[in-house]
Formats: sequence, C-alpha cells, structure tokens
Amino acid sequence: MNSRSIYDELDQAIDQMMAAPPHAEAALDAAEEASVRELAELASELRDLPRENFKSRLMLELEWEAAGRAVTADAAEKKSGRRNTEALPGLFGKAWSGYPVRRSNFALSAALHAVMVLAIGAGFVMVKSTLPRVDRSKEVSVELLPYFPPIGTKQSHGGGSGGAAEKILASKGAAPRAAQEQLTPPIILPNTSRKLVAEATVIAPPDMSLPRTRQIGDPLSDLAQPSNGPGVGGGMGGKVGGGVGANSGFGRGHGSEAGCCDGVYTIGNGVSMPRAIYAPEPEFSEEARRTKLQGEVTLLATIGADGKTRNLIVERSLGMGLDEKALEAVRTWRFEPAKKDGHPVAVQMNIIVNFHLY
Amino acid sequence: LNALANLAELTSLNQERRLIEAAQSDPSRFAELYENNFHRVYAFVSRRVSSRDEAQDVTAEVFHQALRNLGRFQWRGVPFAAWLLRIAANALADRWQRAARGVEVPAEEAEIENDAGHTDAAEVERRAMLFQLVDRLPADQRLVIQRRFVEQKSIREIAQELGRSEGAVKQLQFRALETLRGQIRSGHE
Repeated sequence: MNSRSIYDELDQAIDQMMAAPPHAEAALDAAEEASVRELAELASELRDLPRENFKSRLMLELEWEAAGRAVTADAAEKKSGRRNTEALPGLFGKAWSGYPVRRSNFALSAALHAVMVLAIGAGFVMVKSTLPRVDRSKEVSVELLPYFPPIGTKQSHGGGSGGAAEKILASKGAAPRAAQEQLTPPIILPNTSRKLVAEATVIAPPDMSLPRTRQIGDPLSDLAQPSNGPGVGGGMGGKVGGGVGANSGFGRGHGSEAGCCDGVYTIGNGVSMPRAIYAPEPEFSEEARRTKLQGEVTLLATIGADGKTRNLIVERSLGMGLDEKALEAVRTWRFEPAKKDGHPVAVQMNIIVNFHLY
Repeated sequence: LNALANLAELTSLNQERRLIEAAQSDPSRFAELYENNFHRVYAFVSRRVSSRDEAQDVTAEVFHQALRNLGRFQWRGVPFAAWLLRIAANALADRWQRAARGVEVPAEEAEIENDAGHTDAAEVERRAMLFQLVDRLPADQRLVIQRRFVEQKSIREIAQELGRSEGAVKQLQFRALETLRGQIRSGHE
C-alpha cells in the first residue's frame, strides 16, 4: 500500500468516525491497517478539542476577574491575536461585545443617563406648569364700530378757529395738545389773574403726534407777532370757536368742527369701513380673572391706509389690566383699509372689546 | 529511578505550593496555575458532557470558582489539580441535578462525585496531554486539525480555504495525527 492510499484510508476512517455520534464507538471499518486504525482512534478523541480561542479567552476573563473587572470575548480574541469577524458590539459586553466593561462604570453611566432624562422631563413639566392656563370658559369678543367724534357728524377734516377779536391774524406757533374735552381754549396772552390753571388744548384724539414748540399758535400762520387773531370764542383764528385755524370750530386745521389733521376720515359719506384681516383675541389678565371682572373696553383707533392700527386711545376703561391686554392685542391687528373713491384712506374707528366670563 | 521520580514529584509539588501561595496573596498569579491545569480540567470535563459548548462552560465555571475560593484552599500535599477536579465533579453533579430534577444520577456519573481525584486519572492525563500537544503542532497541521475536528469541515472545504490540494490537506492531517501519536507514546514511556 503506497503512502497516498494511507492518507485516503485514514481520511475515510475519519469520515466514518465523524458520522457517528460523539463518544460513540466508531466501527472504523475503513481502516484496514492497524496503524491507520490507531490514528483514527486518536482522531476520535480530537472531536472533543476546545475551540481555538477558548483557552485564551478564559484566561483573560480570569485575569480581569482577578483585577475585579468583567471582560468581553472580543478583548480576549484581540489578546490571542485572532479576530471573530462575526462579533457585533452588544450593550452588556459579555455576549461577544466589542469593549471591556467595568460594572461600576456601566452603573455610573446608567445613573447619569437616568438623571439627565429626569432633568429634561422635569424641565418640560415646569415650563408647562408656568405657562398661563387659558380658561375656555372665558371668552373675549370684539366689536368694530365707526368713530363718531364728540362734536359733529360729518367727515372730519379737523379744524377750528376762534380768537380774541384782535386786529391781526393769529400768530405762528405750535398747535396745542389734542384732548377729548377742552377745558380752556388756546390763547397766546393768557389772563394772568386766573385762579385755576389748565393746559390749553384742542378737541382731537389726544395722543396724536404733533410738532411742539414753546409758543403755541397756528402752525399755518406766517405772523411771528403774538396774537390770538380777530375771531371770537377764545381760540386762535378768524372765526368763532375755541380751536386753531381758519374756520369755526374747536379743532385744528382748515376744516371745521372738531378733529384734526387733514387726511384722516370718519367712516360714512363714501368712506368704507375697514375690515379686520388679522385680529387675535386679547387675553384675560390674571387680576381680572381672579376678581372675575368682565365688561367692555372701548378703544379709539386710527386705521392707516396701510391697514395698521395707530394712535390707540382707551375711551372706556375697564381696569385690572384688561385695557392693556386690549391695547396689546389690537396693536397687532391688520386691516383691509377703508376706501374713499377706490383709494385706501386712514380712518378713525372704535373698537369695543368685550371681556366675558361664563 | 523510583527515588529520582519521587524527588521530581516532590520538587514539582513544592513549586506548585509556592505558586498557590503566590496566587493567594496576589490573584493575578493565578494565571500560572491556570496554564498548568487547563487541559487537565478540560479533558476531565469534556469526557463527561455531550457537547463542546457544555465542556467549555463547565471548564470556565471550574476556574472561576477556583479563583474565587482560592483563599480558602489549604495545602495538604495533594496536587492542585485534584482540588480543581473536585470542583469540576461538583459542577457536573449540579448540572445533572438541575437538568434532570427527580431523575437519579447514573451510577457511573455519581462515582465521579465520590472519587473525582482518582477516577480514570491516567485517562485524564493522557487526554490532557493530547489536547496540549495539538497546540504545539506546526501551524499548518494545527490548522487542519482544528478545521477538521473542531469545525467539522470536509477535506475539500479545508483545501479550498487554505488554497491547497485535497491530497496535500490529507497529508497534513495524516502527519499531524502521526506526530501526536508519537509524542504521546514518548510521553508515556
């Protein structure tokens, strides 16, 4: 029998042995030669050989245990110079994971993560609890009404006049402050013997921004010499009334009656009403909610040709912070502007905000 | 010759005692005891369980227990391996009891529990030597043995993996087994 046949004979005997269950007595009929049979018997014991990396892996586990640590299989393989390419990292390390694991570090990491999650969760809870709670049982309604000046029912171009029956026209100066009511008309040469001092005003929306100088007068006049004008009624001008201007009335400007400022219209007589296109509702104030205050806040507003609200005035106050809430909301409103002859114009109008509790 | 053999055994025991004492004071020295006894424990266990995985599990359990309980080990002139095999026998008995609650442990297996230190000691030594010798084979022969008997691959599969002919692999297999047989014989002589 040549050497080639011995290799085959041994391999066939090994195949026969491998086909039998472990620890079973294999027949080894394929091994005719005694020496081959002996080698096949030796081979049958090799079926119990440990895996290649087992000894080194266990060694590393023991080393780490001796040092008070846990160890992973991958680290052991690294030490033995071999690599298991099927190994995937795992959370707990033991099961073929990629990193040595210190149990204390793992516990610390888990604790830190728990604290972070709690802190983030607590943040959400705290922020949520500090947000104002909107009570759905409370309702705010808003009503838009045209503005009717206290005096006069026509289109307001503003204007007024008056005077002290002087020989020359009213002198140049700053227009007096606008106010809802006139306590005293504007005059340049005041009565020095007066007992009650009141600021001179004209009747117009009070917070209109007007140019001011130290000397009041008619801004359209050319005369520098102090004069109240030839008119009568206590104002400054050539006609009757307590206003400042060329015509009769208690306002300021070239128009008549109360009001001011050419270009701001009242609704009606060909001037359409502006339409709110963005009107968030005002909120209830905390004070009003606590005291269950309800009612109306009436605002006077100028709606510009650009649709924005200006010159907001509280005409009827409710207090408890509701006025401020109403102003705060209405300032953000946007309108489709009023139109006159197809062109957008600024108008004054009332906005009534109803605060109700149900 | 007997006197020389006794002297060698005594020297070996003294060395082992020093190793145990060193490991008791410094657990990192346990590695040397492990190296000296790994194949012995594995050979003892692998003969008594049905799979390689189970043999590895029990072997690992034995050494972990030994490391944990090393401080309580008292030297009585008995080889350290006897203590390890006692742990192994107890671990196997526990496994059998857990696996078959209420089922009587076979007499042959119960014998291990009763006399682990002396039962088939020679056979254990022989198998331990065989497994140890595989580690000392030339790399190509060791690779063929591992693929053939551990991974249970065919000669054709191994040849493809190694890029060699089937005849060459069969030859390596034959030479490896022949080497092992020769070394075991010389070890016993």
